Amino acid sequence: MRYYVRKFAFYLVALWAALTLNFFIPRLLPGNPVDILMARLSQRGGTVDPSARRAFELMLGTNSSESLFQQYISYLGNMLRGDLGISVSAFPAPVSEVIATALPWTLMLVGIATFLSFAFGIVLGTFVGWRRGTWLDSLVPATTVLSAVPYFWLALLLVAVLSSAWGWFPLQGGYDILLSPGWNGEFIGSAIYYGTLPALTIVISSVGGWLLGMRNMMVSSTAEDYVLTAKAKGLRDSRIMIKYAARNAVLPSVAGFAISLGFVVSGAVITEQVFSYPGIGSKLLQAVQNNDYALMQGIFLVITVAVLGANLVVDLLYAVIDPRTRVSG
Amino acid sequence: MTNLSAVTVEPPRGRAGWRSMLPRWSPKLGVGLVLIALITFLGVIGPLLVGDPNTIRDISLTPPSGDFWLGTTWTGQDIVAQLAHATRGSLYIGLLVGVMSTALSALFGIVGSYIGGYVDEGFNLFSNVMLVIPGLPLVIVISAFVPADQRGMWTIAVVLAITGWAASARVLRAQTLSLRNRDYVAAARVSGEKPWRVITVEILPNLLPLLASQFVFSVIYAILSEAGLSFLGLGASNSSTLGTMLYYAQNSFALQREAWWWFVPPGLIIALFGCGLALVNFSIDEIINPKLRDIPRRSKAEASRVPEPVSRTDDDVVLTVNNLSVVYQVENPVHAVKDVSITLRRGEILGLAGESGCGKTTLAYAINRLHRPPAEVTAGAVTFHDREGGDIDVLALTPGELRAFRWSKLSMVFQGAMNALNPVITVRAQLEDVLTTHRPEMTKAQRKAKCEEVLKLVGVDVRRLSSFPHELSGGMRQRVMIAMALLLDPQVMIMDEPTTALDVVVQRGILREILRLRDEIGFAVLFITHDLPLLLELADRIAVMKEGEVVEYATAQDMYEQPAHPYTRQLLDSFPSLTGERGSFVRSGEQMTPVDRSGEPTASGGVR
Repeated sequence: MRYYVRKFAFYLVALWAALTLNFFIPRLLPGNPVDILMARLSQRGGTVDPSARRAFELMLGTNSSESLFQQYISYLGNMLRGDLGISVSAFPAPVSEVIATALPWTLMLVGIATFLSFAFGIVLGTFVGWRRGTWLDSLVPATTVLSAVPYFWLALLLVAVLSSAWGWFPLQGGYDILLSPGWNGEFIGSAIYYGTLPALTIVISSVGGWLLGMRNMMVSSTAEDYVLTAKAKGLRDSRIMIKYAARNAVLPSVAGFAISLGFVVSGAVITEQVFSYPGIGSKLLQAVQNNDYALMQGIFLVITVAVLGANLVVDLLYAVIDPRTRVSG
Repeated sequence: MTNLSAVTVEPPRGRAGWRSMLPRWSPKLGVGLVLIALITFLGVIGPLLVGDPNTIRDISLTPPSGDFWLGTTWTGQDIVAQLAHATRGSLYIGLLVGVMSTALSALFGIVGSYIGGYVDEGFNLFSNVMLVIPGLPLVIVISAFVPADQRGMWTIAVVLAITGWAASARVLRAQTLSLRNRDYVAAARVSGEKPWRVITVEILPNLLPLLASQFVFSVIYAILSEAGLSFLGLGASNSSTLGTMLYYAQNSFALQREAWWWFVPPGLIIALFGCGLALVNFSIDEIINPKLRDIPRRSKAEASRVPEPVSRTDDDVVLTVNNLSVVYQVENPVHAVKDVSITLRRGEILGLAGESGCGKTTLAYAINRLHRPPAEVTAGAVTFHDREGGDIDVLALTPGELRAFRWSKLSMVFQGAMNALNPVITVRAQLEDVLTTHRPEMTKAQRKAKCEEVLKLVGVDVRRLSSFPHELSGGMRQRVMIAMALLLDPQVMIMDEPTTALDVVVQRGILREILRLRDEIGFAVLFITHDLPLLLELADRIAVMKEGEVVEYATAQDMYEQPAHPYTRQLLDSFPSLTGERGSFVRSGEQMTPVDRSGEPTASGGVR
């Protein structure tokens, strides 16, 4: 039980830290984002109503008479209510609405691709670590090369070859724009078709890390006494490999999965830029290019919350697969 | 683990220790260093040799030629010249970030964990929070707030360092915590050395490989991240890096115009540099964890052992080991077991005694063919004389036959049951998989009944079946191991230091149990220990091993009354005696008779 309490407390602290970071970044850095934002807003013919301005000010900081502490408290209040202000680039939609439409795309693409990459990496790593001293060892440096390649460069090359030259995949987008989004077979099929290449690029560039980590842990765990016991018991090799060696070796990878999610989301920003995918990453860049600071910060917050939430889930899962954490917590 | 593991690992500390900090030479390391050297040369010397990268010519997008080795850009600039300058920029960023983030992670990881207490808790919490906040979105947000004209190389480097140090800090913290508790560090602290001195003199040198690996990692991270940022248009302004080069190439539709010579080389340089660093990192990792070293590929050729199984001479014998030799095939081969012959009679306890590293564990493992490469049986035979008749040449069994032989004829109880049980699955699962493998015809109910039966035999509550190993006390774990060894009613049980690391009371209880079970069930035991006096009261016959050879082989009675070999006498004398008389170490033998087993307080209720 203590384990769970500690975990929840940690993520609350992390969430608070992210909110605070979000509050201070625009106040510490040069420039006056509120004025830029208001100017943009009036260009677009938006009426600058005082409450909108107030929301911006709370989020981005300005030379108001209010003390920093009061601003901070009101800001936290706004965040808890989910009031992230109004988007300038998608005026007059509220930031939360813009995010809500983009988020499912990213979650599906990145979620599935990451899971596949993790699964492949673990399975391959298990074999490579178990069959140490065979030709499989050469897979390790090979996948390392893939991890050292700049992701977008690899993705663009794949697009040039697989989409432009051979026409196997669409060039960009998240679905056939002739279709209207909805829960029907045709649209979902199109979304899967459009998502395959982006997902493939994510898997290719990240599988090496999982493979290496799992392989190294397998090398350690096959040297453990319980594997020797299993051999002495006359168990089949496949059972020793899975139930004894891999079952123990996978623990650090699962713990690492949580940490890697942050990097995965980061990668998604670039993926979506390469493929003009309608997810939250391309919205973030769109916000940056249009100085839509409110949207930008809202997205940063949502991404952070999503990553923290996923981390929490993984931590809870970890307690299930490693019985020792439940007592020693 | 085996007594001979000392042959390969743990470099000595001290002056010789410095040499162990250097990577071992390997082809991977060589290739990595060459890649790094070539690209560094391009970045450092290259810009002095090429022309101005910004000269615009009216030859747009010409393919590679004699004049322009890698062709020209959209505006006719020489790509080789651009590459040289861009490489310099990227290396500069990589170096800056590498230094800064390694310094940050050292500060938060090493200093925090060395000081300990609240500082450590605070630093650790901070590192963990920084780790879970997604890096690139944060970098994007920060970069977006800094106006483009103020966004130089240094700004980007600082932002990347701030968002990239946390993972290393965690690794360094874990390592420092373990170093901090080592004897020589504790000694330095107790003798009143100043904290900064302890850190720099005692701790830092041991962390160097780890720091180097983290540095290399952060350089790769920085170069890749900078390229990503530049690609998004958020890189350093007024500077030239491989990332900005790719940005311009992409925005001039280099790929769509099939100008691969513009788009491919910058990415390739990043990839090769990253690859070079990663290869060097493999070598550094092998210093940190020697287990990761490449082992030579397994050769198909079996050792040239002449099969010489011994046919049974006497129905009373269950296991014959004949002239067995085991060699560790390392650079200077170690002859761990030399020409050893022993016989084990049915229902007898044969003791195998000797100091650490004498080869007794290697011998025990070789009997069941559990020795791992580089250990290899070079001569001799192991013959098992089955009570159903027939002799089994153990060393000649096929892998399938060997699996069937193990545990059903000969089971083992390992030293220190701590790690011999799988920590993440229940006791029941570990008992049952023996039955599902060897007795597939058993029903679920039969398996359950059998598991409960063996646990009762060793005096463990059957409710412990659903426990995990960490929930049992040391004595209980060892009892569970013995129960597991009894599952298939084996004829021989090899026990490797089964009572070492248990306190004396628990040890007594377990030994009494072994004697009782032997009397009831009638298996033979090969009992391995360094404790010769213990064997004198427990075993029927004893073999004393020294440097791989059996130097004395006699009944316990004879060995007690007239030890023949000087080494045996030495072993007997080395145990302290309360009265000063040799022989008084023998612990009163009467207690060892298997009568009651209530004497062990932790056996039934000892949940930790």
